[in-house]
Amino acid sequence: MVLLLMLIVLAMHIFILHNILHFEWGTAAKDAVTSCLILGIAAWGIILLIRAYPTTAVITLYGLFMALVISTATAITEYETLKLFVATDNVNYQLWLKQTVAVRFLFIWIFNSWVSTVSALRKNITNLDARFQQQTDASILLKEAELFKLRQQLQPHFLYNSLNSINALITIAPGKAQEMIGKLSDFLRSSVKRESEDTLPVSEELEYIQSYLAIESVRFGDRLRVRFEKEYTDDAVIPPFLLQPIVENAIKFGLYGSTGVVTITVHIVLEGAMLMITITNPYDADTQPPRGTGFGLEGVQRRLYLLYARADLLETKKDGKYFTTILKIPQHHV
Amino acid sequence: MYKVILIDDEPLARQLLKSLLEPYKQVEVVAECGDGFEGFKAIQELNPDLIFLDIQMPRLNGFEMLELLDNPPAVIFTTAFDEYALKAFESHAVDYLLKPIVKDRFEKAMQKWLQQATNKDRPQVSALLENNIYEGYQHRIVVKDNSLIRIIPAQDIYYIEANDDYIKIVTKDGSYLKKSTLSHLEQTLDPQQFVRVHRSYLVPVTQLMRIEPYEKESHIALLHCGAKVTVSKSGMAKLKTLLGW
Repeated sequence: MVLLLMLIVLAMHIFILHNILHFEWGTAAKDAVTSCLILGIAAWGIILLIRAYPTTAVITLYGLFMALVISTATAITEYETLKLFVATDNVNYQLWLKQTVAVRFLFIWIFNSWVSTVSALRKNITNLDARFQQQTDASILLKEAELFKLRQQLQPHFLYNSLNSINALITIAPGKAQEMIGKLSDFLRSSVKRESEDTLPVSEELEYIQSYLAIESVRFGDRLRVRFEKEYTDDAVIPPFLLQPIVENAIKFGLYGSTGVVTITVHIVLEGAMLMITITNPYDADTQPPRGTGFGLEGVQRRLYLLYARADLLETKKDGKYFTTILKIPQHHV
Repeated sequence: MYKVILIDDEPLARQLLKSLLEPYKQVEVVAECGDGFEGFKAIQELNPDLIFLDIQMPRLNGFEMLELLDNPPAVIFTTAFDEYALKAFESHAVDYLLKPIVKDRFEKAMQKWLQQATNKDRPQVSALLENNIYEGYQHRIVVKDNSLIRIIPAQDIYYIEANDDYIKIVTKDGSYLKKSTLSHLEQTLDPQQFVRVHRSYLVPVTQLMRIEPYEKESHIALLHCGAKVTVSKSGMAKLKTLLGW
Protein backbone atom coordinates (compact mmCIF):
# COMPACT_ATOMS: atom_id res chain seq x y z
CA MET A 1 0.00 0.00 0.00
CA VAL A 2 2.70 2.46 1.04
CA LEU A 3 4.92 1.20 -1.77
CA LEU A 4 2.15 1.72 -4.33
CA LEU A 5 1.56 5.23 -3.06
CA MET A 6 5.26 5.97 -3.33
CA LEU A 7 5.34 4.67 -6.91
CA ILE A 8 2.40 6.85 -7.90
CA VAL A 9 4.02 9.92 -6.35
CA LEU A 10 7.26 8.99 -8.08
CA ALA A 11 5.53 8.66 -11.46
CA MET A 12 3.68 11.95 -11.04
CA HIS A 13 6.90 13.66 -10.03
CA ILE A 14 8.67 12.43 -13.17
CA PHE A 15 5.71 13.30 -15.36
CA ILE A 16 5.46 16.88 -14.07
CA LEU A 17 9.20 17.46 -14.38
CA HIS A 18 9.38 16.05 -17.93
CA ASN A 19 6.14 17.14 -19.53
CA ILE A 20 5.38 20.46 -17.84
CA LEU A 21 8.81 21.76 -16.91
CA HIS A 22 10.48 20.11 -19.94
CA PHE A 23 13.42 18.45 -18.25
CA GLU A 24 15.02 15.38 -19.78
CA TRP A 25 13.69 11.98 -18.75
CA GLY A 26 16.96 11.16 -16.98
CA THR A 27 17.09 14.36 -14.97
CA ALA A 28 13.41 14.09 -14.04
CA ALA A 29 13.80 10.47 -12.88
CA LYS A 30 16.92 11.18 -10.84
CA ASP A 31 15.27 14.16 -9.11
CA ALA A 32 12.13 12.17 -8.38
CA VAL A 33 13.89 9.09 -7.01
CA THR A 34 16.22 11.15 -4.82
CA SER A 35 13.44 13.34 -3.40
CA CYS A 36 11.13 10.44 -2.70
CA LEU A 37 13.84 8.31 -1.13
CA ILE A 38 15.03 11.07 1.17
CA LEU A 39 11.47 12.02 2.12
CA GLY A 40 10.65 8.36 2.78
CA ILE A 41 13.62 7.97 5.08
CA ALA A 42 12.64 11.17 6.92
CA ALA A 43 9.04 10.02 7.43
CA TRP A 44 10.22 6.65 8.64
CA GLY A 45 12.54 8.36 11.09
CA ILE A 46 9.67 10.42 12.43
CA ILE A 47 7.50 7.33 12.93
CA LEU A 48 10.33 5.62 14.81
CA LEU A 49 10.88 8.69 16.98
CA ILE A 50 7.19 8.84 17.89
CA ARG A 51 7.08 5.13 18.72
CA ALA A 52 10.10 5.50 20.96
CA TYR A 53 8.56 8.45 22.81
CA PRO A 54 7.90 7.05 26.28
CA THR A 55 4.53 8.63 27.17
CA THR A 56 1.52 10.05 25.42
CA ALA A 57 1.77 13.37 27.21
CA VAL A 58 2.14 16.26 24.72
CA ILE A 59 3.04 13.72 22.03
CA THR A 60 1.38 15.73 19.23
CA LEU A 61 3.40 18.80 20.11
CA TYR A 62 6.55 16.74 20.33
CA GLY A 63 5.76 15.20 16.92
CA LEU A 64 5.25 18.57 15.26
CA PHE A 65 8.49 19.88 16.68
CA MET A 66 10.40 16.81 15.48
CA ALA A 67 8.76 17.20 12.06
CA LEU A 68 10.06 20.76 11.79
CA VAL A 69 13.61 19.78 12.76
CA ILE A 70 13.68 16.76 10.47
CA SER A 71 12.08 18.68 7.60
CA THR A 72 14.83 21.29 7.74
CA ALA A 73 17.47 18.56 7.70
CA THR A 74 15.66 16.74 4.90
CA ALA A 75 15.41 19.83 2.74
CA ILE A 76 19.10 20.61 3.15
CA THR A 77 20.10 16.99 2.42
CA GLU A 78 17.85 16.85 -0.62
CA TYR A 79 19.22 20.11 -1.99
CA GLU A 80 22.84 19.11 -1.51
CA THR A 81 22.31 15.63 -2.94
CA LEU A 82 20.52 16.90 -6.00
CA LYS A 83 23.18 19.57 -6.58
CA LEU A 84 25.94 16.98 -6.32
CA PHE A 85 24.50 14.14 -8.42
CA VAL A 86 21.84 15.56 -10.70
CA ALA A 87 22.82 19.11 -11.47
CA THR A 88 26.43 18.39 -12.42
CA ASP A 89 26.42 20.01 -15.85
CA ASN A 90 22.83 21.10 -16.28
CA VAL A 91 22.79 24.86 -15.71
CA ASN A 92 19.10 25.09 -16.35
CA TYR A 93 18.34 22.51 -13.66
CA GLN A 94 20.78 24.14 -11.25
CA LEU A 95 18.94 27.41 -11.52
CA TRP A 96 15.58 25.78 -11.13
CA LEU A 97 16.76 23.82 -8.09
CA LYS A 98 17.82 26.99 -6.35
CA GLN A 99 14.46 28.62 -7.02
CA THR A 100 12.46 25.68 -5.68
CA VAL A 101 14.28 25.16 -2.37
CA ALA A 102 11.60 27.03 -0.41
CA VAL A 103 8.76 25.15 -2.12
CA ARG A 104 10.51 21.82 -1.55
CA PHE A 105 11.01 22.62 2.13
CA LEU A 106 7.38 23.64 2.52
CA PHE A 107 6.19 20.44 0.88
CA ILE A 108 8.49 18.26 3.00
CA TRP A 109 7.44 20.08 6.13
CA ILE A 110 3.70 19.64 5.50
CA PHE A 111 4.17 15.99 4.66
CA ASN A 112 6.29 15.27 7.73
CA SER A 113 3.86 17.11 10.02
CA TRP A 114 1.04 15.03 8.67
CA VAL A 115 2.98 11.79 9.24
CA SER A 116 3.89 12.81 12.77
CA THR A 117 0.34 13.83 13.70
CA VAL A 118 -1.17 10.63 12.39
CA SER A 119 1.33 8.39 14.15
CA ALA A 120 1.01 10.38 17.38
CA LEU A 121 -2.75 9.96 17.31
CA ARG A 122 -2.41 6.26 16.59
CA LYS A 123 -0.11 5.82 19.52
CA ASN A 124 -2.58 7.70 21.73
CA ILE A 125 -5.46 5.46 20.68
CA THR A 126 -3.50 2.24 21.19
CA ASN A 127 -2.50 3.44 24.60
CA LEU A 128 -6.08 4.30 25.56
CA ASP A 129 -7.28 0.93 24.32
CA ALA A 130 -4.72 -0.87 26.44
CA ARG A 131 -5.60 1.13 29.50
CA PHE A 132 -9.32 0.57 28.99
CA GLN A 133 -8.77 -3.17 28.62
CA GLN A 134 -6.71 -3.25 31.76
CA GLN A 135 -9.35 -1.40 33.72
CA THR A 136 -12.10 -3.70 32.50
CA ASP A 137 -10.06 -6.75 33.48
CA ALA A 138 -9.33 -5.31 36.90
CA SER A 139 -12.94 -4.47 37.60
CA ILE A 140 -14.12 -7.94 36.54
CA LEU A 141 -11.62 -9.53 38.92
CA LEU A 142 -12.59 -7.20 41.71
CA LYS A 143 -16.25 -7.91 41.13
CA GLU A 144 -15.78 -11.65 41.33
CA ALA A 145 -13.65 -11.42 44.43
CA GLU A 146 -16.18 -9.20 46.11
CA LEU A 147 -19.13 -11.39 45.20
CA PHE A 148 -17.29 -14.38 46.58
CA LYS A 149 -16.51 -12.60 49.81
CA LEU A 150 -20.07 -11.38 50.23
CA ARG A 151 -21.37 -14.90 49.80
CA GLN A 152 -18.90 -16.18 52.35
CA GLN A 153 -20.13 -13.71 54.93
CA LEU A 154 -23.62 -15.15 54.91
CA GLN A 155 -23.06 -18.33 56.81
CA PRO A 156 -20.91 -18.64 59.95
CA HIS A 157 -23.04 -16.99 62.66
CA PHE A 158 -26.10 -18.82 61.61
CA LEU A 159 -24.27 -22.11 61.35
CA TYR A 160 -22.67 -21.90 64.79
CA ASN A 161 -25.92 -20.91 66.47
CA SER A 162 -27.72 -23.78 64.78
CA LEU A 163 -25.08 -26.26 65.91
CA ASN A 164 -25.48 -24.93 69.42
CA SER A 165 -29.23 -25.57 69.28
CA ILE A 166 -28.61 -29.12 68.05
CA ASN A 167 -26.17 -29.56 70.89
CA ALA A 168 -28.95 -28.67 73.33
CA LEU A 169 -31.52 -30.89 71.61
CA ILE A 170 -29.31 -33.97 71.70
CA THR A 171 -29.96 -34.46 75.42
CA ILE A 172 -33.50 -33.08 75.73
CA ALA A 173 -35.05 -34.31 72.47
CA PRO A 174 -32.83 -36.58 70.37
CA GLY A 175 -35.54 -36.97 67.70
CA LYS A 176 -35.72 -33.23 67.19
CA ALA A 177 -31.94 -33.03 67.07
CA GLN A 178 -31.91 -35.50 64.18
CA GLU A 179 -34.60 -33.52 62.40
CA MET A 180 -32.63 -30.32 62.82
CA ILE A 181 -29.45 -31.94 61.46
CA GLY A 182 -31.45 -33.00 58.42
CA LYS A 183 -32.76 -29.46 57.88
CA LEU A 184 -29.36 -27.92 58.35
CA SER A 185 -27.77 -30.36 55.89
CA ASP A 186 -30.47 -29.59 53.30
CA PHE A 187 -29.80 -25.92 53.72
CA LEU A 188 -26.03 -26.24 53.45
CA ARG A 189 -26.27 -28.60 50.48
CA SER A 190 -28.37 -26.18 48.50
CA SER A 191 -26.07 -23.30 49.53
CA VAL A 192 -23.10 -25.10 48.07
CA LYS A 193 -24.99 -26.05 44.92
CA ARG A 194 -26.09 -22.49 44.36
CA GLU A 195 -22.57 -21.04 44.52
CA SER A 196 -22.17 -21.57 40.79
CA GLU A 197 -25.57 -20.27 39.66
CA ASP A 198 -26.11 -16.79 38.25
CA THR A 199 -29.86 -16.81 38.59
CA LEU A 200 -32.44 -19.28 39.88
CA PRO A 201 -36.18 -19.72 39.48
CA VAL A 202 -37.90 -17.82 42.29
CA SER A 203 -39.67 -20.99 43.43
CA GLU A 204 -36.27 -22.61 44.05
CA GLU A 205 -35.05 -19.61 46.01
CA LEU A 206 -38.21 -19.77 48.13
CA GLU A 207 -37.60 -23.42 48.95
CA TYR A 208 -34.18 -22.42 50.13
CA ILE A 209 -35.63 -19.65 52.27
CA GLN A 210 -38.13 -22.15 53.71
CA SER A 211 -35.36 -24.51 54.76
CA TYR A 212 -33.57 -21.58 56.33
CA LEU A 213 -36.73 -20.55 58.18
CA ALA A 214 -37.32 -24.10 59.38
CA ILE A 215 -34.00 -23.92 61.22
CA GLU A 216 -34.58 -20.43 62.55
CA SER A 217 -37.94 -21.42 63.97
CA VAL A 218 -36.31 -24.25 65.91
CA ARG A 219 -33.83 -21.74 67.31
CA PHE A 220 -36.39 -19.12 68.27
CA GLY A 221 -39.32 -21.42 69.04
CA ASP A 222 -42.84 -20.01 68.78
CA ARG A 223 -41.65 -16.44 68.61
CA LEU A 224 -41.09 -16.50 64.85
CA ARG A 225 -43.83 -16.65 62.22
CA VAL A 226 -43.40 -16.05 58.50
CA ARG A 227 -46.20 -15.48 55.97
CA PHE A 228 -45.70 -15.73 52.19
CA GLU A 229 -47.86 -13.98 49.58
CA LYS A 230 -46.99 -14.99 46.02
CA GLU A 231 -48.12 -13.66 42.62
CA TYR A 232 -45.57 -14.60 39.99
CA THR A 233 -45.05 -16.92 37.05
CA ASP A 234 -42.76 -19.94 36.98
CA ASP A 235 -40.16 -18.29 34.79
CA ALA A 236 -39.42 -15.46 37.23
CA VAL A 237 -35.77 -15.57 38.30
CA ILE A 238 -33.58 -14.18 41.06
CA PRO A 239 -29.82 -14.25 41.70
CA PRO A 240 -28.97 -16.49 44.65
CA PHE A 241 -28.11 -15.20 48.13
CA LEU A 242 -29.98 -11.91 47.85
CA LEU A 243 -33.25 -12.74 49.56
CA GLN A 244 -31.80 -14.75 52.42
CA PRO A 245 -29.80 -11.89 54.04
CA ILE A 246 -32.87 -9.65 53.80
CA VAL A 247 -35.05 -12.25 55.52
CA GLU A 248 -32.29 -12.76 58.07
CA ASN A 249 -32.17 -9.02 58.65
CA ALA A 250 -35.96 -8.89 59.06
CA ILE A 251 -35.78 -11.68 61.63
CA LYS A 252 -33.00 -9.92 63.51
CA PHE A 253 -34.81 -6.57 63.47
CA GLY A 254 -38.09 -8.20 64.38
CA LEU A 255 -36.91 -10.58 67.07
CA TYR A 256 -34.31 -8.24 68.54
CA GLY A 257 -36.84 -5.44 68.74
CA SER A 258 -39.31 -7.26 70.93
CA THR A 259 -39.69 -10.29 73.13
CA GLY A 260 -43.15 -11.36 71.91
CA VAL A 261 -44.32 -13.27 68.83
CA VAL A 262 -43.04 -11.73 65.60
CA THR A 263 -44.69 -12.15 62.18
CA ILE A 264 -42.67 -11.46 59.06
CA THR A 265 -44.42 -11.06 55.69
CA VAL A 266 -42.79 -11.83 52.36
CA HIS A 267 -44.81 -10.51 49.42
CA ILE A 268 -43.65 -11.42 45.91
CA VAL A 269 -45.20 -9.97 42.76
CA LEU A 270 -44.11 -9.82 39.12
CA GLU A 271 -44.76 -6.33 37.73
CA GLY A 272 -43.91 -6.27 34.05
CA ALA A 273 -40.20 -6.90 33.72
CA MET A 274 -39.55 -6.36 37.43
CA LEU A 275 -39.89 -8.86 40.24
CA MET A 276 -40.87 -6.98 43.38
CA ILE A 277 -40.23 -8.62 46.73
CA THR A 278 -41.50 -6.81 49.81
CA ILE A 279 -40.42 -8.00 53.23
CA THR A 280 -42.13 -6.49 56.26
CA ASN A 281 -41.21 -6.96 59.89
CA PRO A 282 -42.44 -5.31 63.06
CA TYR A 283 -39.94 -2.95 64.55
CA ASP A 284 -39.64 -0.88 67.67
CA ALA A 285 -38.22 2.58 66.99
CA ASP A 286 -37.05 2.96 70.58
CA THR A 287 -35.04 -0.20 70.74
CA GLN A 288 -33.79 -0.53 67.18
CA PRO A 289 -30.90 -2.96 67.10
CA PRO A 290 -27.47 -1.38 67.03
CA ARG A 291 -26.25 -1.51 63.50
CA GLY A 292 -22.90 -2.86 62.44
CA THR A 293 -23.67 -6.23 63.93
CA GLY A 294 -23.42 -8.79 61.18
CA PHE A 295 -23.95 -8.81 57.50
CA GLY A 296 -27.06 -6.71 56.91
CA LEU A 297 -28.38 -4.89 53.92
CA GLU A 298 -25.24 -3.07 52.76
CA GLY A 299 -23.93 -6.34 51.36
CA VAL A 300 -27.14 -6.89 49.39
CA GLN A 301 -27.00 -3.35 48.07
CA ARG A 302 -23.42 -3.83 46.97
CA ARG A 303 -24.19 -7.12 45.25
CA LEU A 304 -27.14 -5.63 43.40
CA TYR A 305 -24.90 -2.85 42.18
CA LEU A 306 -22.25 -5.30 41.00
CA LEU A 307 -24.84 -7.45 39.24
CA TYR A 308 -27.01 -4.79 37.61
CA ALA A 309 -24.97 -1.56 37.90
CA ARG A 310 -28.00 0.06 39.55
CA ALA A 311 -28.29 1.58 42.99
CA ASP A 312 -32.09 1.82 43.09
CA LEU A 313 -33.00 -1.85 43.45
CA LEU A 314 -33.14 -1.96 47.24
CA GLU A 315 -35.35 0.30 49.29
CA THR A 316 -36.15 0.42 52.98
CA LYS A 317 -39.01 2.19 54.69
CA LYS A 318 -39.81 2.77 58.33
CA ASP A 319 -43.49 3.20 58.80
CA GLY A 320 -44.66 3.44 62.40
CA LYS A 321 -44.32 -0.01 63.84
CA TYR A 322 -43.18 -1.72 60.62
CA PHE A 323 -39.92 -1.89 58.75
CA THR A 324 -40.26 -2.65 55.04
CA THR A 325 -37.56 -3.76 52.64
CA ILE A 326 -38.31 -3.75 48.91
CA LEU A 327 -36.07 -5.74 46.59
CA LYS A 328 -36.44 -5.34 42.82
CA ILE A 329 -35.00 -7.84 40.39
CA PRO A 330 -34.96 -6.90 36.67
CA GLN A 331 -36.16 -9.95 34.72
CA HIS A 332 -34.74 -9.42 31.25
CA HIS A 333 -31.25 -8.51 32.18
CA VAL A 334 -28.46 -9.65 29.88
CA MET B 1 -24.05 -21.70 97.04
CA TYR B 2 -23.17 -19.55 94.03
CA LYS B 3 -25.93 -17.74 92.16
CA VAL B 4 -25.83 -17.88 88.38
CA ILE B 5 -27.98 -16.08 85.78
CA LEU B 6 -28.24 -17.20 82.14
CA ILE B 7 -28.84 -14.44 79.59
CA ASP B 8 -29.45 -15.57 76.00
CA ASP B 9 -32.33 -14.97 73.63
CA GLU B 10 -32.45 -18.55 72.38
CA PRO B 11 -34.32 -20.92 74.73
CA LEU B 12 -32.31 -23.89 73.51
CA ALA B 13 -29.03 -22.14 74.20
CA ARG B 14 -30.11 -21.54 77.81
CA GLN B 15 -31.28 -25.13 78.04
CA LEU B 16 -27.86 -26.32 76.98
CA LEU B 17 -26.12 -24.21 79.61
CA LYS B 18 -28.51 -25.50 82.28
CA SER B 19 -27.78 -29.10 81.45
CA LEU B 20 -24.04 -28.41 81.40
CA LEU B 21 -24.32 -26.78 84.83
CA GLU B 22 -26.21 -29.70 86.38
CA PRO B 23 -23.12 -31.55 87.71
CA TYR B 24 -22.01 -28.43 89.59
CA LYS B 25 -23.79 -28.83 92.91
CA GLN B 26 -22.32 -25.65 94.39
CA VAL B 27 -24.05 -23.60 91.67
CA GLU B 28 -27.68 -22.61 91.36
CA VAL B 29 -29.34 -21.04 88.30
CA VAL B 30 -31.47 -18.30 89.86
CA ALA B 31 -32.82 -16.72 86.68
CA GLU B 32 -33.01 -17.10 82.90
CA CYS B 33 -33.37 -14.01 80.76
CA GLY B 34 -34.14 -13.54 77.07
CA ASP B 35 -32.75 -10.04 76.57
CA GLY B 36 -30.54 -7.33 78.05
CA PHE B 37 -33.40 -5.52 79.80
CA GLU B 38 -34.51 -8.61 81.68
CA GLY B 39 -30.90 -9.43 82.38
CA PHE B 40 -30.25 -5.99 83.84
CA LYS B 41 -33.28 -6.21 86.12
CA ALA B 42 -32.48 -9.74 87.28
CA ILE B 43 -28.86 -8.84 88.05
CA GLN B 44 -29.91 -5.85 90.14
CA GLU B 45 -32.50 -7.86 92.06
CA LEU B 46 -30.61 -11.09 92.58
CA ASN B 47 -26.98 -9.95 92.69
CA PRO B 48 -25.51 -13.10 91.10
CA ASP B 49 -21.92 -14.34 91.40
CA LEU B 50 -21.66 -15.29 87.75
CA ILE B 51 -23.56 -14.60 84.54
CA PHE B 52 -23.46 -16.38 81.19
CA LEU B 53 -24.01 -13.64 78.65
CA ASP B 54 -24.81 -13.73 74.96
CA ILE B 55 -23.86 -10.62 72.98
CA GLN B 56 -26.49 -10.33 70.24
CA MET B 57 -29.83 -10.06 71.99
CA PRO B 58 -33.16 -8.26 71.60
CA ARG B 59 -33.62 -4.65 72.74
CA LEU B 60 -30.37 -4.31 74.69
CA ASN B 61 -27.27 -6.26 73.70
CA GLY B 62 -24.81 -7.88 76.08
CA PHE B 63 -22.24 -5.09 76.04
CA GLU B 64 -24.85 -2.38 76.52
CA MET B 65 -26.29 -4.25 79.46
CA LEU B 66 -22.86 -4.48 81.09
CA GLU B 67 -22.26 -0.78 80.54
CA LEU B 68 -25.29 0.02 82.68
CA LEU B 69 -24.22 -2.04 85.68
CA ASP B 70 -22.36 -0.17 88.40
CA ASN B 71 -20.85 -3.29 89.80
CA PRO B 72 -20.97 -6.05 87.19
CA PRO B 73 -20.66 -9.70 88.30
CA ALA B 74 -18.17 -12.14 86.82
CA VAL B 75 -19.02 -12.82 83.17
CA ILE B 76 -18.60 -15.77 80.85
CA PHE B 77 -19.52 -14.71 77.32
CA THR B 78 -21.33 -17.22 75.15
CA THR B 79 -21.52 -16.23 71.53
CA ALA B 80 -21.16 -17.22 67.91
CA PHE B 81 -18.93 -14.19 67.35
CA ASP B 82 -15.67 -15.09 65.73
CA GLU B 83 -12.70 -15.84 67.88
CA TYR B 84 -10.77 -12.83 66.66
CA ALA B 85 -13.31 -10.40 68.07
CA LEU B 86 -13.40 -12.28 71.36
CA LYS B 87 -9.64 -12.25 71.94
CA ALA B 88 -10.02 -8.55 72.70
CA PHE B 89 -11.84 -9.18 75.92
CA GLU B 90 -10.19 -12.40 76.99
CA SER B 91 -8.30 -10.68 79.80
CA HIS B 92 -11.34 -9.00 81.30
CA ALA B 93 -14.05 -11.60 81.29
CA VAL B 94 -13.63 -14.84 83.21
CA ASP B 95 -13.74 -16.60 79.88
CA TYR B 96 -15.61 -16.78 76.62
CA LEU B 97 -17.36 -19.78 75.11
CA LEU B 98 -17.81 -20.04 71.38
CA LYS B 99 -21.05 -21.55 70.14
CA PRO B 100 -21.53 -24.42 69.62
CA ILE B 101 -20.52 -24.89 73.24
CA VAL B 102 -18.87 -28.22 73.94
CA LYS B 103 -18.54 -29.91 77.31
CA ASP B 104 -14.74 -29.91 77.64
CA ARG B 105 -14.44 -26.24 76.92
CA PHE B 106 -17.33 -25.46 79.26
CA GLU B 107 -15.68 -27.36 82.10
CA LYS B 108 -12.45 -25.44 81.62
CA ALA B 109 -14.29 -22.13 81.84
CA MET B 110 -16.07 -23.25 85.03
CA GLN B 111 -12.80 -24.35 86.59
CA LYS B 112 -11.27 -21.00 85.79
CA TRP B 113 -14.18 -19.20 87.37
CA LEU B 114 -14.30 -21.40 90.49
CA GLN B 115 -10.65 -20.60 91.06
CA GLN B 116 -11.22 -16.89 90.62
CA ALA B 117 -14.33 -16.89 92.81
CA THR B 118 -12.22 -17.60 95.90
CA ASN B 119 -9.65 -15.05 94.80
CA LYS B 120 -10.55 -11.44 95.61
CA ASP B 121 -8.73 -9.62 92.82
CA ARG B 122 -10.43 -11.14 89.83
CA PRO B 123 -10.39 -9.25 86.53
CA GLN B 124 -12.97 -6.48 86.28
CA VAL B 125 -15.33 -6.72 83.37
CA SER B 126 -15.96 -2.96 83.52
CA ALA B 127 -12.40 -2.34 82.31
CA LEU B 128 -13.23 -4.28 79.18
CA LEU B 129 -15.80 -1.70 78.15
CA GLU B 130 -13.09 0.92 77.89
CA ASN B 131 -11.74 -0.89 74.86
CA ASN B 132 -13.45 -0.70 71.55
CA ILE B 133 -15.11 -4.08 71.55
CA TYR B 134 -17.86 -3.36 69.08
CA GLU B 135 -17.92 -4.53 65.53
CA GLY B 136 -18.36 -1.35 63.50
CA TYR B 137 -19.61 1.91 64.99
CA GLN B 138 -22.48 2.36 67.40
CA HIS B 139 -25.54 4.34 66.42
CA ARG B 140 -26.98 4.68 69.88
CA ILE B 141 -26.00 5.17 73.51
CA VAL B 142 -27.69 3.43 76.41
CA VAL B 143 -28.09 5.30 79.70
CA LYS B 144 -29.74 4.76 83.04
CA ASP B 145 -32.30 7.42 83.84
CA ASN B 146 -33.25 6.84 87.47
CA SER B 147 -34.42 3.24 87.34
CA LEU B 148 -35.33 3.43 83.64
CA ILE B 149 -33.11 2.36 80.78
CA ARG B 150 -33.04 4.88 77.98
CA ILE B 151 -31.71 4.29 74.50
CA ILE B 152 -30.51 7.47 72.82
CA PRO B 153 -30.19 7.30 69.02
CA ALA B 154 -26.99 9.02 67.84
CA GLN B 155 -28.93 11.50 65.71
CA ASP B 156 -30.74 12.86 68.81
CA ILE B 157 -27.50 13.94 70.47
CA TYR B 158 -26.76 17.68 70.64
CA TYR B 159 -23.33 17.28 72.17
CA ILE B 160 -21.46 15.29 74.82
CA GLU B 161 -19.49 16.89 77.62
CA ALA B 162 -16.86 15.38 79.91
CA ASN B 163 -17.70 15.79 83.60
CA ASP B 164 -15.13 14.20 85.95
CA ASP B 165 -15.76 10.44 85.89
CA TYR B 166 -18.99 10.98 84.06
CA ILE B 167 -20.09 12.18 80.69
CA LYS B 168 -23.08 14.43 80.16
CA ILE B 169 -25.08 13.60 77.04
CA VAL B 170 -27.20 16.56 75.97
CA THR B 171 -30.13 15.61 73.71
CA LYS B 172 -33.36 17.11 72.51
CA ASP B 173 -35.19 15.41 75.40
CA GLY B 174 -32.84 16.65 78.11
CA SER B 175 -29.43 15.64 79.37
CA TYR B 176 -28.23 12.37 80.88
CA LEU B 177 -25.23 11.38 82.93
CA LYS B 178 -23.35 8.18 82.33
CA LYS B 179 -20.28 6.67 83.90
CA SER B 180 -17.97 6.56 80.90
CA THR B 181 -15.26 8.57 79.20
CA LEU B 182 -15.22 10.77 76.13
CA SER B 183 -12.36 8.78 74.61
CA HIS B 184 -14.46 5.61 74.85
CA LEU B 185 -17.37 7.27 73.07
CA GLU B 186 -15.04 8.85 70.55
CA GLN B 187 -13.94 5.33 69.65
CA THR B 188 -17.38 3.73 69.49
CA LEU B 189 -19.29 6.47 67.66
CA ASP B 190 -18.84 7.06 63.94
CA PRO B 191 -15.87 9.46 63.50
CA GLN B 192 -17.48 10.80 60.33
CA GLN B 193 -20.30 12.13 62.50
CA PHE B 194 -18.80 12.89 65.90
CA VAL B 195 -15.75 15.07 66.35
CA ARG B 196 -13.77 15.62 69.53
CA VAL B 197 -13.46 19.36 69.17
CA HIS B 198 -12.01 19.82 72.63
CA ARG B 199 -10.69 17.75 75.55
CA SER B 200 -14.15 18.09 77.12
CA TYR B 201 -16.46 18.08 74.10
CA LEU B 202 -17.62 15.59 71.51
CA VAL B 203 -19.91 17.20 68.94
CA PRO B 204 -21.94 15.83 66.01
CA VAL B 205 -20.90 17.55 62.78
CA THR B 206 -24.54 18.16 61.86
CA GLN B 207 -24.97 20.29 65.00
CA LEU B 208 -22.35 22.83 63.95
CA MET B 209 -23.83 26.15 62.90
CA ARG B 210 -21.01 28.66 63.08
CA ILE B 211 -17.43 28.77 64.31
CA GLU B 212 -15.94 32.01 65.57
CA PRO B 213 -12.40 32.88 66.67
CA TYR B 214 -12.02 33.17 70.43
CA GLU B 215 -8.93 34.13 72.35
CA LYS B 216 -5.56 33.10 71.05
CA GLU B 217 -5.52 29.82 69.09
CA SER B 218 -9.01 28.67 70.10
CA HIS B 219 -12.48 29.00 68.63
CA ILE B 220 -16.07 28.89 69.79
CA ALA B 221 -18.59 26.73 67.97
CA LEU B 222 -22.21 27.77 67.95
CA LEU B 223 -24.52 24.75 67.77
CA HIS B 224 -28.01 24.52 66.29
CA CYS B 225 -29.39 23.81 69.76
CA GLY B 226 -28.12 27.20 70.93
CA ALA B 227 -25.21 25.94 73.02
CA LYS B 228 -21.66 27.22 72.65
CA VAL B 229 -18.67 24.90 72.97
CA THR B 230 -14.98 25.64 72.96
CA VAL B 231 -12.95 24.32 70.03
CA SER B 232 -9.27 23.72 70.71
CA LYS B 233 -6.49 24.15 68.19
CA SER B 234 -6.31 20.42 67.48
CA GLY B 235 -10.11 20.21 67.41
CA MET B 236 -10.15 22.88 64.72
CA ALA B 237 -7.59 20.91 62.71
CA LYS B 238 -9.79 17.79 62.94
CA LEU B 239 -12.82 19.73 61.75
CA LYS B 240 -10.85 21.14 58.87
CA THR B 241 -9.76 17.73 57.60
CA LEU B 242 -13.19 16.18 58.13
CA LEU B 243 -15.14 18.95 56.44
CA GLY B 244 -12.50 19.67 53.84
CA TRP B 245 -12.12 23.40 54.49
